Amino acid sequence: MTDEHPLLKIEDLAVSFPATDGSDRRVHAVSGVSLSVYPRQTLAVVGESGCGKSVTALSTLKLIPTPPGRHEHGHIWWSGDSDGGQPTDLLSLSEKQIRRVRGNQIAMIFQEPMTSLNPVYTIGEQILEPILLHQKAPRGQAVQTAIDALTEVGIADPEARLREYPHRLSGGMRQRVMIAMALACQPKLLLADEPTTALDVTIQAQILELLRKLQHERGMSILLITHDLGVVAENADVVAVMYAGRVVEYGSVRDVFSKPLHPYTKGLLASMPVLGDKRTRLATIPGQVPNPTNYPTGCPFHPRCSDRKDDPQCAAEHPALLEVREKHWAACWHAPGYDQAKATTPDLAYRMALQT
Amino acid sequence: MSNAAAHPVGPGAPPPAADPPRAVRGWVGQALNSVAKRFGARIGMAFIGMIAFSAVFAPFLASSHPLLLKMDRQWTSPAMKHLTPTDVTLLVGFVALLAVAPLRNVKFSHKLAQILGVLAFTIPVALVMAKPPRAVVYDQYRQAANDGRVQFVLNAPIPYSPTDRLRDQFDADRPHPWAPSTAHLMGTERNGADILSRMIHATRIALAVGFIAEGIALVIGVTIGGLMGYFAGAVDLLGMRLVEVFSAIPRIYLLLTFVAFFGRNLYLIMVIIGLTSWVGYTLYTRAEFLRLRKQDFVQAAIACGLPLRSILMRHMLPNGMAPILVNVSFGVASAILAESTLSFLGLGLVDEPSWGEMLNQALSAGGGFYWWLATFPGLAIFLTVFSYNMIGEAMRDAIDPQLQRASAL
Repeated sequence: MTDEHPLLKIEDLAVSFPATDGSDRRVHAVSGVSLSVYPRQTLAVVGESGCGKSVTALSTLKLIPTPPGRHEHGHIWWSGDSDGGQPTDLLSLSEKQIRRVRGNQIAMIFQEPMTSLNPVYTIGEQILEPILLHQKAPRGQAVQTAIDALTEVGIADPEARLREYPHRLSGGMRQRVMIAMALACQPKLLLADEPTTALDVTIQAQILELLRKLQHERGMSILLITHDLGVVAENADVVAVMYAGRVVEYGSVRDVFSKPLHPYTKGLLASMPVLGDKRTRLATIPGQVPNPTNYPTGCPFHPRCSDRKDDPQCAAEHPALLEVREKHWAACWHAPGYDQAKATTPDLAYRMALQT
Repeated sequence: MSNAAAHPVGPGAPPPAADPPRAVRGWVGQALNSVAKRFGARIGMAFIGMIAFSAVFAPFLASSHPLLLKMDRQWTSPAMKHLTPTDVTLLVGFVALLAVAPLRNVKFSHKLAQILGVLAFTIPVALVMAKPPRAVVYDQYRQAANDGRVQFVLNAPIPYSPTDRLRDQFDADRPHPWAPSTAHLMGTERNGADILSRMIHATRIALAVGFIAEGIALVIGVTIGGLMGYFAGAVDLLGMRLVEVFSAIPRIYLLLTFVAFFGRNLYLIMVIIGLTSWVGYTLYTRAEFLRLRKQDFVQAAIACGLPLRSILMRHMLPNGMAPILVNVSFGVASAILAESTLSFLGLGLVDEPSWGEMLNQALSAGGGFYWWLATFPGLAIFLTVFSYNMIGEAMRDAIDPQLQRASAL
């Protein structure tokens, strides 16, 4: 396991958009994000809305419209193209080349199952199109692939479903169809952008259970974007906590949940409801997510930080993401051991023991 | 696809049930269905259907050539012999439509492709095979009947061709135009041509101008508007300037100028009407595509790696088509009006009958007011435009249920 190569390695990615106030300034939605996803690993990217989670995922497939968006610097190395070959930088691919990766090697499922299916086509037509495109299979075989994919995601009577229009399916079924579409081409990496946010709790659990099962069966990697820490705890191997366009803490799910280093992570964990706890109010992080056009100087979290709010260093200098403990990275001046931390890129092949 | 009920798959599959008798309708199907339920739209479609029927069967409905003739002990069909390539193409297209339309489980696009395929084969064959005699003497049949050489004759319901000037029935005491009578249901023009016959043959021009001109406008408008909406930014900016330039062109003056320079040519007129009326479609398509490109299913299609052509044509266009279709029915009406205007001004076609040209005849008839010259073609133009507008309004209501119904019909 030591000389394993990551499947996807995002290095120092920065994405900017023009400011909406009409000035020439550019807003950095993501600045200097590094993370890596290993085969069969689930990496969860956690953070509040607007912290750059989705932009990171969309950049992986070059789905950020450029212009107005711009990739300022960084690389996204992808090793899933051919076995043993050199990793390719997805950001440097042409539109034609990236199209071969989209849906085929890296698939994506979106947040809103109600609007992610085209209302004018049947389920079958929508599943078949990418299969016919990427696998160049004859139609009969593609239909069989589609039926298998629908069966796999637990849709009853898949052959009849193929002929139905999306408006006849419930939200949970549509999300299953989306997953079936994403999986039909056997991708190596699945980008799941808040796949369960729009669903009710019982369906959420079913969908996550399904994703876990499929990952186990297919040896697929998942980049899970969410703001639900409960989902993270149950599904992720490695967690990247993002705040204001940067990764502020990175480590295995066990380390991050049991020994959080960054005050933001601590705040997030404290604000989770605990079953049986008699407290009437949940803990909150004071203040609001800073506006991307006007990030505070120094550590972007310092105005809201409950630990050392008045430390002049926090307001003056931005802390880098350093390996504070063994295989546990954090970006906080006051993390214990930060002054002796090693400057390494976050890279962790850890996987939770499989429990089924 | 095989019968789904035969293989229940997965846990909790429902018990085998009979397939629904009818395929589940898509969104477009539902919208069209609700259009067909509106009274006004039904009247409109019935009238347009009647016009289309007249256009296709004009040579059998109104012709001086008998459908079947036994003359000098020989059976002939002069009407068939005088069919032009246009007649043949229209007839074959109609038969193909009748053959394909009732088929179930065949997609609309496939049906359309089949009809177009048949037409693509028919047009060159018709051009080679259908060679009507150049010089036509319309009164030869009436002459022969008077001479007692005809043993059997089956005439068309209106036994006068649109250009049959009734030279054999010339009567100095009773000059044309004749008022409507049992022989000429809508009377005759000053040169002796039967008005009903001309009305029937003029439906072709009305339909052709409407559909071909708007077809050209639709293709240009949707293409430019789609690209503007999808790419936005600089493409949108340039496209908008182009739209501004074209919306500043006065259509009728441009038509007059072109007719003055290049002569009277129906196809030129259609192309010019098409080239000057795409602006509306562009604006609608652009607005729809700007809305659609941010939709999740379009993003999902891009994330699936589908090529741009498929995203624009398959995923965005059908979803943005509804308001454009509504506009088409209004556009067809306005194209018919433009052609009628041109013909009324005396700049339309010379030989072929058109409703506008017939109105012009009414104006220039002189020597009094002959009501039948103006009433029938005027009514035809009015009813056709009205029908298209009724269909358009029903479609607008069908696609936008929040909108108040535009009319009670």
